[in-house]
Amino acid sequence: MSFHGNNHNCQWSFKSSYFHSGLSSPVTESTHPGEASRGLHEEFRELREQPTDPQAQQEIINSIEEVYFSNDSFDIVKYELEKLPPVLSLQELEEYRDKLKQQQAAVSKKVADLILEKQPAYAKELERVTSLQTGLQLAAVICTNGRRHLNTAKEGFTQASLGLLANQRKRQLLIGLLKSLRTIKTLQRTDVRLSEMLEEEDYPGAIQLCLECQKAASTFKHYSCIRSGGIEQLDVALSKICKNFDISHYTKVQQAYRLLGKTQTAMDQLHMHFTQAIHNTVFQVVLGYVELCAGNTDTKFQKLQYKDLCTHITSDSYIPCLADLCKALWEVMLSYYRTMQWHETHDRDEGAALSSDGSNAVGAEETNFDRSYVKKKLEHGLSRIWQDVQLKVKTYLLGTDLSNFKYDDFIFVLDIISRLMQVGEEFCGSKSEVLQESIRKQSVNYFKNYHRTRLEELRMFLENETWELCPVKASFSILQLHEFKFMEQSRSPSVSPSKQPASAISTTVTLFEQYCNGGNPFEIQANNKDEETEDVLASNGYESDEQEKSAYQEYDSDSDVPEELKRDYVDEQTGDVPVKSISRETLKSRKRSDYSLNKVNAPILTNTTLNVIRLVGKYMQMMNILKPIAFDVIHFMSQLFDYYLYAVYTFFGRNDTFELTGLGLSSSRLRTTLNRIQESLIDLEVSADSTVTLTAVEERKEKVPSLHLSHLVVLTSGNTLYGLAERVVATESLVFLAEQFEFLQPHLDTVMPAAKKPFLQQFYSQTVSTASELRKPIYWIVAAKAIDYEQMLLLMANVKWDVKEIMSQHNIYVDSLLKEFEQFNRRLNEVSKRVRIPLPVSNILWEHCIRLANRTLVEGYANVKKCSNEGRALMQLDFQQFLMKLEKLTDIRPIPDKEFVETYIKAYYLTENDMERWIKEHREYSTKQLTNLVNVCLGSHINKKARQKLLAAIDDIDRPKR
Amino acid sequence: MSQTAMSETYDFLFKFLVIGNAGTGKSCLLHQFIEKKFKDDSNHTIGVEFGSKIINVGGKYVKLQIWDTAGQERFRSVTRSYYRGAAGALLVYDITSRETYNALTNWLTDARMLASQNIVIILCGNKKDLDADREVTFLEASRFAQENELMFLETSALTGENVEEAFVQCARKILNKIESGELDPERMGSGIQYGDAALRQLRSPHRAQAQSAQECGC
Repeated sequence: MSFHGNNHNCQWSFKSSYFHSGLSSPVTESTHPGEASRGLHEEFRELREQPTDPQAQQEIINSIEEVYFSNDSFDIVKYELEKLPPVLSLQELEEYRDKLKQQQAAVSKKVADLILEKQPAYAKELERVTSLQTGLQLAAVICTNGRRHLNTAKEGFTQASLGLLANQRKRQLLIGLLKSLRTIKTLQRTDVRLSEMLEEEDYPGAIQLCLECQKAASTFKHYSCIRSGGIEQLDVALSKICKNFDISHYTKVQQAYRLLGKTQTAMDQLHMHFTQAIHNTVFQVVLGYVELCAGNTDTKFQKLQYKDLCTHITSDSYIPCLADLCKALWEVMLSYYRTMQWHETHDRDEGAALSSDGSNAVGAEETNFDRSYVKKKLEHGLSRIWQDVQLKVKTYLLGTDLSNFKYDDFIFVLDIISRLMQVGEEFCGSKSEVLQESIRKQSVNYFKNYHRTRLEELRMFLENETWELCPVKASFSILQLHEFKFMEQSRSPSVSPSKQPASAISTTVTLFEQYCNGGNPFEIQANNKDEETEDVLASNGYESDEQEKSAYQEYDSDSDVPEELKRDYVDEQTGDVPVKSISRETLKSRKRSDYSLNKVNAPILTNTTLNVIRLVGKYMQMMNILKPIAFDVIHFMSQLFDYYLYAVYTFFGRNDTFELTGLGLSSSRLRTTLNRIQESLIDLEVSADSTVTLTAVEERKEKVPSLHLSHLVVLTSGNTLYGLAERVVATESLVFLAEQFEFLQPHLDTVMPAAKKPFLQQFYSQTVSTASELRKPIYWIVAAKAIDYEQMLLLMANVKWDVKEIMSQHNIYVDSLLKEFEQFNRRLNEVSKRVRIPLPVSNILWEHCIRLANRTLVEGYANVKKCSNEGRALMQLDFQQFLMKLEKLTDIRPIPDKEFVETYIKAYYLTENDMERWIKEHREYSTKQLTNLVNVCLGSHINKKARQKLLAAIDDIDRPKR
Repeated sequence: MSQTAMSETYDFLFKFLVIGNAGTGKSCLLHQFIEKKFKDDSNHTIGVEFGSKIINVGGKYVKLQIWDTAGQERFRSVTRSYYRGAAGALLVYDITSRETYNALTNWLTDARMLASQNIVIILCGNKKDLDADREVTFLEASRFAQENELMFLETSALTGENVEEAFVQCARKILNKIESGELDPERMGSGIQYGDAALRQLRSPHRAQAQSAQECGC
C-alpha cells in the first residue's frame, strides 16, 4: 500500500524535477516525436545493466533520502556537500557515492520501466492528435470558402430583396387597417345617430342600436368608448330626474337601464344622484344669494364649504334664500316621491302583464327580485334623503344669527320650517328632530334678544307714561286686539297654530298629493306672507282689524247704545264665554261705584297697559308656534308683568316715611314679591355710577334699570288729591292687567310643560294676585295726606274736658275734621270727573281716611290731662256728631274703627277690676293711651293704689311686646 | 344690524314726535321710516305708539326715539303728555285734504306750548303720490312753513319718497343747533340725551335731578 503512495509521489516529482526541461512543452515539440523516444531508449539500456531484482531495487529506492522526493527545487549538490562530515574520508565518500549511484540507477530503471509501460498509449495519442490537426486544416479551408461566398451573396442580392419583402408585408397590414377603419367609420356614423337618439331621449332605441353595434364590431375597443359614453349620458338623464321628475322621461331611462341589465345599478345611482342633487341644489341656491349680495362676481365663494357659505348670507337675503332653498328641496323630494309613485304603478301594471303572460318564468323571477330590491332601496332612501335635507337646512338655519330679525320675519322663518317639517312628516313620517332642535336653538336666542328689546321699550313707555286714561269702550276685551286673534283659532282643538292654510285639509290631502302636478307649498307660503306680515305688523300697533277698530272708535256714539246691545256685540264678535262673564262681573261691580259719574264702565288702562297686553299676545303667539320654548316665553312674559307692577309700586306706592309707621300697609306677600322682582329683574346700579365695575355684565344684561316717573306727573298737589287720578289709573290698570293674566291662565297652562307648571302657579299665586294689594299702600298715601290730622290734634288739645255739666254742643274740632272730609269728598268727585274711580278704590280711600281720623281722635283723647264724667260724655257727643255727618258723606258701612274710638271713651267708666281685665283684652291701644286712660280716671273712681296696680298691668302687657 | 337694545351705541338720543290730524298718514310715515315698507291698511292709532331707529347724520349716530301720536281728538289728553321734552317733531298734513292743512296752526301752537319753544319742526305734506287729488299746493304750504319757521317737505309714505329725508333733516338741524350752542343738551326737557357711547358721566347729574324730582313727589 505504502508503495503505491510513494510511487505515485515519485512519479510526479520526476515529472517536475527530472523532465523539467525536456518534456515541458510536448505540443510544440510534437513535430519531432521520433528523436525524443530514441534518447530515452539509450538511457534505459544503461539502466538495465544494474541489478534487476525488483525487490532489491525497491529497497534502494526506499533508501533514498526523503529530501530528494521533495517538490521544492533545491540544490542537490549543495545539500550533499553540506552533509559531508568535517573530516573527509575517501572511503566513506566513495561508499556514499556508490550508494548514490546505486540509488540513481534504481530510480532511472524505475523511470525507464514506467516510460516503457506508457509508450504505446503515447504513440496512439500522438496519432490522434495528428489526424485532428489534419481535420482542422480542412475545416479552415471550408470556412474561408464559405465566408467568401457569403460576402458575394450579401453584396449582390439580400439588401434589395429583403427591403422589398418588408414593404410587401407592410402593404398587407395596411390593407387590413383600411378595412378596420372603414368599419370604425360606420360605427362613428352610428355614434352620431346614437347621439341623436340620446338627444331625442330615446334611450331604449339608442341602447338597442348600441347593442347591435356591439355585436357587429365587438372586437373594436373604440366601441367600448361609445358605449360608456351612452351610459354617462344615461346617468346624466337619471340625475335630471332628481330635479324635475317627468314620467315619460323616467320611463325611457328605466327601459334603457333594463336593456343594459342594470336596473339595480340604476337604483344605486339614483340614490347617489339624489344625494348629490340635494347638495348641489342647496349649494347653488345659497351661492346664488351670497354672490348676489356680495355684488361682485368674485369666485372665492365657489370654493367655500357649504357651511361657511351659509355664514355669508346677509340678513336681508336670509328669508328669500330660505324660501328658495325649501322650494328647491321640495322639488327634489317631490321628484323622489314621484319616482316611488312611478315604480309603484309601473310594478303593478307590469305584474298584471306578467301574470297574464306567464311564459317567461325565469325572467319574471329576476324582475321580481329587481322589483323588491328597488322597492326596498327606495323606501330606505326616504329617511336618508330627509335626513340629508334636514342637515342642509339646519346648517343654513344656524349659519345666521337671527336675534336681530324683525318679529314677523322671524315668525315667517318659523312658518317655513314648520311647513318643512310637515313635508318631512308626510315624506317619511319623520318628527324632524334635527330641524326642531335647530329651531329651538334659534328661537331661544332670538327670543332672549327680542325680550330684552321689548323690556327696554317698556321702560321707555313707563317712564314717559303720564298715567292718563286711555279711552276704550266699555265692552273692550283683549280678544278684540289683533294679537289675540289666534286664540279664537286655537279654540277648535288641535289645529296647528302655525297658520298653515293646508293644515285644515291636511287630514285628507297631503302636500305631496296637493302639489304633485306643480306648484310649490313654499310658493304659496310666500304669497301668504304679505297677509301675514300685515297681521303681525298690526301687532306693532298699526292696527288693521275691524274688531279692534270697533273697540276704540266712535267712542262718543257709544254711550247711546244700550248696555245690553253692547254686550251682544261682544258676544257676536268674539263668541267668547269666559270673557263675557268676566266683563259682566266687573261691570256689575263697577255699576255700584259712587264715582263712575262719567264714561260708563270702561276699563281703566293706559297706553302702556295696552302695550304690555299686546306684547303678551305676541309672546303667546310665539309660544304656540314654539311649544318647545314655551317655558322661556312664559318666563319672559311674567317679567313684563313684574316690571309693570314694580313700576307702579315705585312710582306711587313706595314711601319710606309711611312705611315706617308699620301699619302693615303692604302684606308680607306683596313685600316678598317686590323684593323678588327687585332682585331678579331690576338693575339698581345703572343710575349710580358710570364707573361701576364690569362684574356680572352678563347678569346685568338680563336686567332692566330702575324707573323714574315722568316729570309731568305731579303727586304733590292737594287739589288733585296728590295725583289721585294718576294713582288710580296706574293702580287700576295694573289690576286690569292682572285680570287679563288671570283670564289667560288656562290657556297658558295648556302650553306649559308639566314639569314647569309649578312656576306658572307660583307666578299667579305670588305675583298676579298681589296686584290688587298694591291699592292699599298707594291709596293710603293719599288718605294720609288728604286730611290734616295734625291740625285736629292741635284743636283737640285746646278743649277743656274737665267740665262740670253736660254739654249740648260738640266741639269745633269736629267741625273742622268734617270740613276736611267734605273737602276730600269734593276733590274726590272732581277727580272722578277725570277718571272713573272704582268702588273698591273709593272704599279704600274712605276707609283709610276714616281709620286715620279715628285713630287721631283716640290719640287726641289720650292726650287729655284732666277729664270729668261730663267731659267724657262730651267726647261721646263729639264722636256721635262726627259719625252722623260722616255717614252722610260716605256709603262705607260699618264705619271703620268706630269701635276703637267708642270703646276707648267708654273704658273711662269701668271699675278697677273691670278696667284691669279690659286693659288685658285691648292690646290694640298703645301703652301711652292706656296709661293716660288710667291717669285720667285717678281721682274720680280710681284711687292711687288701684292706679299702681293698673299701671303694672299695662307694663305687663307691654313687656311681651318687646 | 347687530346692535341690540342694550348694547347699541350712539352719540345722541333725540326725542321726536309725529303729530297732525287723524288720517294724514303719521303711522305710515313712521312705519315706512323704520320698516322701509308701506302699511296699506293701517287704522287709527290708539293713544301713542313708539318706534326707534339709529341714523347717521353727518358722521354722528343719532338714535331717534319717536312717539307716534294718535290724531284723533279723543286721545288728545293721552298724547299731549308725550309732547314734553321733544326735541323734534314731524307735523303732518295730507295734501289731498285742506281740512288737515287748516288744522296745522293748532297743532303748531300745541307743540310749541307743550313741548318747548326750541322744538325743531318739519312740516310734511304727506300723500304726495296722490297728486291728482291735491287740495293744497306746494307753494302755499311752503309759504306757511316759511312764515312759521318750519322746514318743509312733501312726502309719500306709500313710495317712501322724502320719508327718511324728513327725519334726517330734522335731526340734522337739531345737531346744528347743538353745535352752535343754541340748544343745550344738558338742559332738562331738551329731549336730547348723550348716548352711551359718549359722555355717560354727563348724563348722571341729569339722572340725579330726575331722582330728586321724583322723591319730592311722594
